[in-house]
Amino acid sequence: MATPLKRIRGLGAAHHGTETFWRQRLTAVANVPLVIFLIWFVVSHAGASYDKVRECLANPVVAVLMLALIWSAAIHMRIGLREIIEDYVHTKMCKTVSLMAVTFFAALVGLASTLAILKISFGS
Amino acid sequence: MVQFTLPRNSKITKGKAWNPPAKGAEPGRWREYRIYRYDPETGENPRVDTYWVDMNECGPMILDALLWIKNKIDPTLTFRRSCREGVCGSCSMNIDGTNTLACTMHAEEARGAAIAVYPLPHMPVIKDLVPDMTQFYAQHREIEPWLKTDSPTPQKEWRQSHEDREKLDGLYECILCACCSTACPSYWWNGDRYLGPAILLQANRWVEDSRDERTGERLDDLEDPFRLYRCHTILNCTKACPKGLNPAAAIANLKRKMVERT
Repeated sequence: MATPLKRIRGLGAAHHGTETFWRQRLTAVANVPLVIFLIWFVVSHAGASYDKVRECLANPVVAVLMLALIWSAAIHMRIGLREIIEDYVHTKMCKTVSLMAVTFFAALVGLASTLAILKISFGS
Repeated sequence: MVQFTLPRNSKITKGKAWNPPAKGAEPGRWREYRIYRYDPETGENPRVDTYWVDMNECGPMILDALLWIKNKIDPTLTFRRSCREGVCGSCSMNIDGTNTLACTMHAEEARGAAIAVYPLPHMPVIKDLVPDMTQFYAQHREIEPWLKTDSPTPQKEWRQSHEDREKLDGLYECILCACCSTACPSYWWNGDRYLGPAILLQANRWVEDSRDERTGERLDDLEDPFRLYRCHTILNCTKACPKGLNPAAAIANLKRKMVERT
């Protein structure tokens, strides 16, 4: 039976976490103007034709902002999902699988959205 | 997985009504208390017993009522208490749904007609309202809550300016009652790895102390996704603190220091 001190010391401090904390704040700050931009874009193109929307999305400034939003949101989502799993899932196997799954999910969403923006931007 | 229901042997059963007031009793004289009872020696599940306290005879605080019950109705009721003035932290418990000190809470502050009294949430219960604080104290020991220096010890004393001493205000007053830590969902789910608001406030007290020379070492020991970063700024700690302290601000200060040194 481990002593209380041995139990709470566990495997010791990991000496990381600050970078994740900072990245989460950074992406949160970035998401505010980027999401406002997204809302403005959607609202201002409500009812516009398919070709018009494609043409606007192909504009380099719009495309870069959209890509920034996708990556900022995907990174933020990945950190958030990881936190939730670390909070609530304590079974070792289930936790490992869930952590892998959320990383794959965030990467998939990011990559698929990036591909869509690039295809539109390059007009294919 | 996190358990959202109590284990079978912790499910609360209906208890006993000890001293219901007689019919036609003076209105407002008797205050109803519903108190968590658990005796490990009986092997029975915990139960909630009901007591009525004569407010004409009893003092105004919740602790007065508990002592009145213990002295007049049921001597087996078990709880910790010592200073009865909010400086020792012994009588911390969950009263009327909030973690607080029984000695500093007025019965009149309770929202419900019947006052529910439970032990601090999510802690192993030794008996009745007495939680097992072993892990909490081990966590306090882990942050090494004492002055650590490398400079030669001065002949007389370690000097501190008034300004530096003021930085410890809002930190040194903590009485380690654990009201904040046991109000924190992150501490409920990961109390074995997350240090919790009370201990992090204590850690911040030594990080902020102008005489302590091991700030970097202290921050090293805290830099961990669980020990420190399990705090999600829920703020239950600040809401619960019976001393009016702000553990959430102390934790934010530690995080700020961590970012500063990267």
